[in-house]
Amino acid sequence: MSGTATFAHQRPVNLGFGLLIVLLYVFLMAPLVMIVGASFTGGLLIEFPPQGLSLRWYLEFFQRQDLVDGLLMSLRIGAITAVVTMTVAMMAALAGQAVSGRLAGWFQLGMTLPLLVPELLTAVGLLFFLYKIELGKTVAGLQMGHILMSFPYAYVSIAAAMRQVPQSLEEASQSLGATGWQTFRLVILPLVMPGLAMAGIFAFINSFDLYTISLLLKPLGGNTLPLALFDFLTYEFKPTAAAAATLSILLSILGVALVQRLVGLQRAF
Amino acid sequence: MNLRNPKLLLALPAIALIFVFMILPITNMIEMSFRTPGTSEPFGADYTAMHYDRILSDGYYWGVLLRSLLTAGAVTLLCLVVSYPIAWHMSKARGMKAVVLYACIASPLMTGVLVRNFGWMIAAALNGPLNEVLLGLGIIERPLRLLFTQGLVILALVHVFVPFMVLPINNALRNISPTLIEASSSMGASRREVFRDIILPLSFPGIYPGMILVYVLAVAAYVTPALLGGQMVSYMPTLIIGELTGTFQWPFGSALAIVLSVSTILVVALFTGLTARLMERAKA
Repeated sequence: MSGTATFAHQRPVNLGFGLLIVLLYVFLMAPLVMIVGASFTGGLLIEFPPQGLSLRWYLEFFQRQDLVDGLLMSLRIGAITAVVTMTVAMMAALAGQAVSGRLAGWFQLGMTLPLLVPELLTAVGLLFFLYKIELGKTVAGLQMGHILMSFPYAYVSIAAAMRQVPQSLEEASQSLGATGWQTFRLVILPLVMPGLAMAGIFAFINSFDLYTISLLLKPLGGNTLPLALFDFLTYEFKPTAAAAATLSILLSILGVALVQRLVGLQRAF
Repeated sequence: MNLRNPKLLLALPAIALIFVFMILPITNMIEMSFRTPGTSEPFGADYTAMHYDRILSDGYYWGVLLRSLLTAGAVTLLCLVVSYPIAWHMSKARGMKAVVLYACIASPLMTGVLVRNFGWMIAAALNGPLNEVLLGLGIIERPLRLLFTQGLVILALVHVFVPFMVLPINNALRNISPTLIEASSSMGASRREVFRDIILPLSFPGIYPGMILVYVLAVAAYVTPALLGGQMVSYMPTLIIGELTGTFQWPFGSALAIVLSVSTILVVALFTGLTARLMERAKA
């Protein structure tokens, strides 16, 4: 950078700014660090810094039927959400290529609508609507809510990956006599694979964390992990909750690492 | 554009998904807000405007609405204050350093709101780290009760929404050409002038959507006030969900949700008008 030499005399300003930046990153990371720390405590209280080190609360987590059931339900719903949104978003992104000009902006807006409208409103609307079509309090209804809320993340990832594919490749493939399906399977799909995988990761993790929509649409006798965790925190404030939350943090860090490997974080966000 | 392009048909499942499970339900909710209260069912068969009348004539609901709108405003401004330096710092980073910084933004973003709020619960305990820091700095003399206060709700909401603001501002800053800055400093502009006259206006395309998104989402945030606000302070979202799941007053709950949405839209429109005028004056 050519700027380093010119700004060198203003070091005190830079030092102050550096300190501010460090504090802001501490602010961003502190809650996560505290949960992970508190989960390894040997004591009986949720506290940071933890008292001693032990894995007892992880053991306790896996012995709690309500929390494990929540985990399994969240994993199942998340997996279905990922597969469905990847498929639907891939198709929508292909269609999006055929839209141009002013309409392209509207198309993009429409596809990201569930992200822009607060989850609360969608959840309230869906509560009545699912009741009306007799899907209220069913797993299928909850599943639809999760697919809807996670779709924009999948769409944005795939659409970004599609923009990197040169149009000329598609034309070349077609002029060599490939059908639309062959062009998609042999030319486009391999090129957008990383973006498609990223779409699945975003959709899965988003579904795994949804709270408000799950609360209003939850099926009879079923809980997702965040719902089970909220109930747990209200009635028993024990480090088991920190262990459950740490698993959730681990999942998102795994997601971040995968996205970095697949496409690079800078291009993804 | 060719509307007969067969490729367009591929968008049908996505359009159906959003239309059937979002547009229809929200339209349906508007209709629900005009239903009479139900006796055996959660809503009655006839139509009435009594729910809106009840909300708008009761000072209690005005108070809760005002608290929700003001809290979201404070959260948005604080988010901007926190996000701008981070976005600035990120936009300068290259290579491995940039990856680490992006990971620091992405990890909280991809961790659920409930989990992150729980982290603040640990931090805000009476003998927890937040009190220790305040005591250590000599800001307070004895530990404060931080849990279940409005301050903690605001702090946790800022934490939830910072990434939503950092990313668009960072993108806007990255798009500013370095030659523009070099040119103006070579023409004698001070660092402050460069920032005020060039960088700040050019980062506006990131600031504006970031602020709108954070405001709209913060007004309707449910988990954070429910977990960290306790029973003492009510916000609109906790009130709405209480009416829907606690007392099963669907029409009244819908009317509350619509009052909240309409007032949010009004605030956003006001803000847009003000900033447009401000930008006009900056150009002149």
